[in-house]
Amino acid sequence: MGMRRRRDGIGPLEYTRRAWMRLILLATFVFLYAPIVTLVAFSFNDSRRNIVWRGFTLEYYEKAFNNAGLIEAFVNSLTIAFFSTVVSTVLGALVALKLWRFRFPGKAPYEGAMTLPIVIPEICMGVAMLAFFSRIGWPSGLTWPFNLGAITIAHISFSFPFVAVVVRARLANFNREQEEAARDLGATEWQVFRDIMIPYMKPGLVAGALLAFTLSLDDFVITFFTSGPDTVTFPVKVYSMVRFSVTPEVNAASTILIAITLVLTTIALVLQNRRTTD
Amino acid sequence: MKKRHMTALSRRSFLAGMGAVAAGITFMPRRGFGQEEEKLVNFYNWDTYIGETTLGDFQAATGIEVKMDLFADNDELFAKLREGNPGYDLIVPTNDYVERMIVADMLVPLDHSAIPNIENLGEAFRDAEFDPGRKYSLPYMWGTIGIGYRKSALDEVPDSWKWLYDSDKYSGRIALLSDAGTIIQMGLKYLGQPLNATDPELIKQVEEMLIRQKPHIKSFAEDNGQDLLLSGEVDLTMEWNGDILQVMEEDDDLDYVVPKEGGLIWQDCLCIPKGAPHPQNAHALINFILDAEAGRDIAEFIYYATPNAAARALAEDAYKSNPAIFPPDETIAMLEASIYKGEDYQRLVDEAITRVRAA
Amino acid sequence: MDSWRKFPLVFWLFSLPPTLWLLLFFLVPLGLIWLFSFGEKQGIVGIDITWTLANYARALDPLYLQIFVKSFWFAGLTTLICLLVGFPVALAITFAPARWRPVLLLLVILPFWTNLLIRTYALIAVLRTRGFLNDGLEWTWEGANALLTLVGLGDLNLLGERFQPFELLYNNFAVVFGLVYVHLPFMVLPLYAALDRMDKSYLEASLDLGASQLRTFLSVVAPLAMAGIVSGCIITFIPALGSFLTPDLLGGPDSQMIANVIESQFKSANDWPFGAALSFLLMYVTFFVLALRAFMTRGRAGLDAA
Repeated sequence: MGMRRRRDGIGPLEYTRRAWMRLILLATFVFLYAPIVTLVAFSFNDSRRNIVWRGFTLEYYEKAFNNAGLIEAFVNSLTIAFFSTVVSTVLGALVALKLWRFRFPGKAPYEGAMTLPIVIPEICMGVAMLAFFSRIGWPSGLTWPFNLGAITIAHISFSFPFVAVVVRARLANFNREQEEAARDLGATEWQVFRDIMIPYMKPGLVAGALLAFTLSLDDFVITFFTSGPDTVTFPVKVYSMVRFSVTPEVNAASTILIAITLVLTTIALVLQNRRTTD
Repeated sequence: MKKRHMTALSRRSFLAGMGAVAAGITFMPRRGFGQEEEKLVNFYNWDTYIGETTLGDFQAATGIEVKMDLFADNDELFAKLREGNPGYDLIVPTNDYVERMIVADMLVPLDHSAIPNIENLGEAFRDAEFDPGRKYSLPYMWGTIGIGYRKSALDEVPDSWKWLYDSDKYSGRIALLSDAGTIIQMGLKYLGQPLNATDPELIKQVEEMLIRQKPHIKSFAEDNGQDLLLSGEVDLTMEWNGDILQVMEEDDDLDYVVPKEGGLIWQDCLCIPKGAPHPQNAHALINFILDAEAGRDIAEFIYYATPNAAARALAEDAYKSNPAIFPPDETIAMLEASIYKGEDYQRLVDEAITRVRAA
Repeated sequence: MDSWRKFPLVFWLFSLPPTLWLLLFFLVPLGLIWLFSFGEKQGIVGIDITWTLANYARALDPLYLQIFVKSFWFAGLTTLICLLVGFPVALAITFAPARWRPVLLLLVILPFWTNLLIRTYALIAVLRTRGFLNDGLEWTWEGANALLTLVGLGDLNLLGERFQPFELLYNNFAVVFGLVYVHLPFMVLPLYAALDRMDKSYLEASLDLGASQLRTFLSVVAPLAMAGIVSGCIITFIPALGSFLTPDLLGGPDSQMIANVIESQFKSANDWPFGAALSFLLMYVTFFVLALRAFMTRGRAGLDAA
């Protein structure tokens, strides 16, 4: 941050200390969080139709925890997200490295192709995966977790370009002198990669992995088209709950998901900040 | 009032027990075909459309576990199965979609010898125009589409489609269903035309009427019209009779009527799609559902009309004599069933509704 | 940047896995849909690839173009509102004390981590006729009315006889509101990234030379942050254009966006070739917007990471 003048009163650049700025910030946060807060609050509502507040109860949390369909959907979502994140991060990092480091013929079209999954309308991709898997005769009725394979593949396909963008942004600021110095000192390519590149990329990798994880956990449209019996994921399940019986159970399930996301994100960010970053 | 159908949550927390078993079984290896089927059946059904204990009772009786997935409308069912069966054993399409699936060769002929409870069906349901000889389908529930309304908000019973299609009296307090075919069909009934008319001119008339009416319509609700009614967002809604009956339980101020111009009579059927991994178990489940007592339990819980004469005989009076469930004969005379009118018709109505919504 | 020939092994190592994946599990399925767009329906579920252009011709029909335009309009409005709201927020975060910045950023991003469906559903409870906004407004109305009565003006019914709840749901307002709500975090992040990299001494110089805050903002801050503004607008506009859940859940009879029409082609209309054609049209439009952006930022010094 630039130089902040030590002055009585508010410095000209200390925008954040101005009242109206703070007001805007506050208003924005209220706007962003109010619906979520009310959602969480009403998950404790003792009323089936959940329109007017009738009393406090944990009944719907009990129902949500006992709703095996919901739990199964949730386990499915986490499993898919886990595998999708791991593979996407690796693929995305490889793409970023390739684009950052090398010149090669056809680079521009290649970059364009890599952004395709980001811009494609989700519904188009969902139908494409549906048509694809059925036409190549993808086996159905496999045991868990292999029956989640089709969905996982679809998720990886649209996640790894996002990871590539994030990692590439991180690489853009990399000073190659370190790398050259290491080479001059006799390090092999692999050592350079392992001891210099990877540590530098880590914040980018973490951010990319987080992004891939969220994209997978959150996905509805593409999953909807590629799922079948016993491969229901959490958003798909919530969608059917929201469509029909709008009870506090949906709120409870949503609150649980929000809580878990919060915990995971906080952990990831704490871990990231522990490492010294440039 | 005794065993009213309870909340959807009871049903879910009930399915929980089974789901826990399901989770366990999912971890076990599947057996291939040619051997005895594993004790599982994948049921793809509408939401809130099964009895409270039906699936558990089935499992207790046969040892076969049921995994039930939900779909929101026939189009969703069809889209999922179009490119090949992802593993469902038993599905519940509506009559015109049964016809469509038969034409598209997506269903497996039923083995009537494995379903002795067919005897329980009422005479009128032993055969069907859309499925001669009941080769591919057996009836599950039937019902009507009409108008659900809030009595205190209106000064008279809205017994005409006019209030939804052609009047600004209740502007902003109206909801229609969102299915293109259904909207056009009810509009045709209002205009005094047959529900299954395919003349583009007639469809255009309905379209123009809807465009004029659009400013007064609050929402094209896919399946939650009854929730909008209950929460006070709208005072009149086009809905299935059973949905309205379910919310009528929570709010005495609501009621249901079939308009005098007539409406739709529909029949949901049990079918087995091609490629089902457990066809034998599916037959067993169909047979169980057609059992008199199981049928009664389902009917009294979901409050739709059962084609199962034996079940109806066992049911409580409040159910049997409810005019919203079993309309009087004069009303039935005004109702028409929808038939599958070909793919071109689908495109025609879909485009008409797209135009209405874009106008 | 090295030429690939210098380290061929490394190059192929980096290159093969993602390229093969993209090819097999993305381009091939997409290609299938692209083929469909030149096809015709055969029977109920069959598709015949006849290389016909009829689907594209139909997609360019005024009916569908009108829907495209409406979707543009919604997405554009959403982007504009997000920009107007997001810029001050990003500015506030940039100039906040260093230890607050990660916290503030986290607070902005957190809703983004929440499931889209859940967020949209939460909005329904807020916006509906007996929802929180209306209840709050009613409460304010009653309070104002009570005050008027106190002053003796109660009988005049200055505020109307009864509180009329605002129609905030199942209309276009709700759709834009929902879209802004969902996409605001997307706008703030690139703005913050750009403002963070901005050299603050330019600002100080400008202020020292006597320019007002507003002038400094318009002439110094905005141009320097332009790359971030463009990025933010793109990341907001494109998903908003293709969104289908928000108009589906929150919209009224009028609020059809192009993605909803595409969805109905794949479902109720059962016309996959036409749905494919519409999808590709949407994609070409998206590419056009991206190309526009590449053109605008071409030749700009410095790396544009976002």
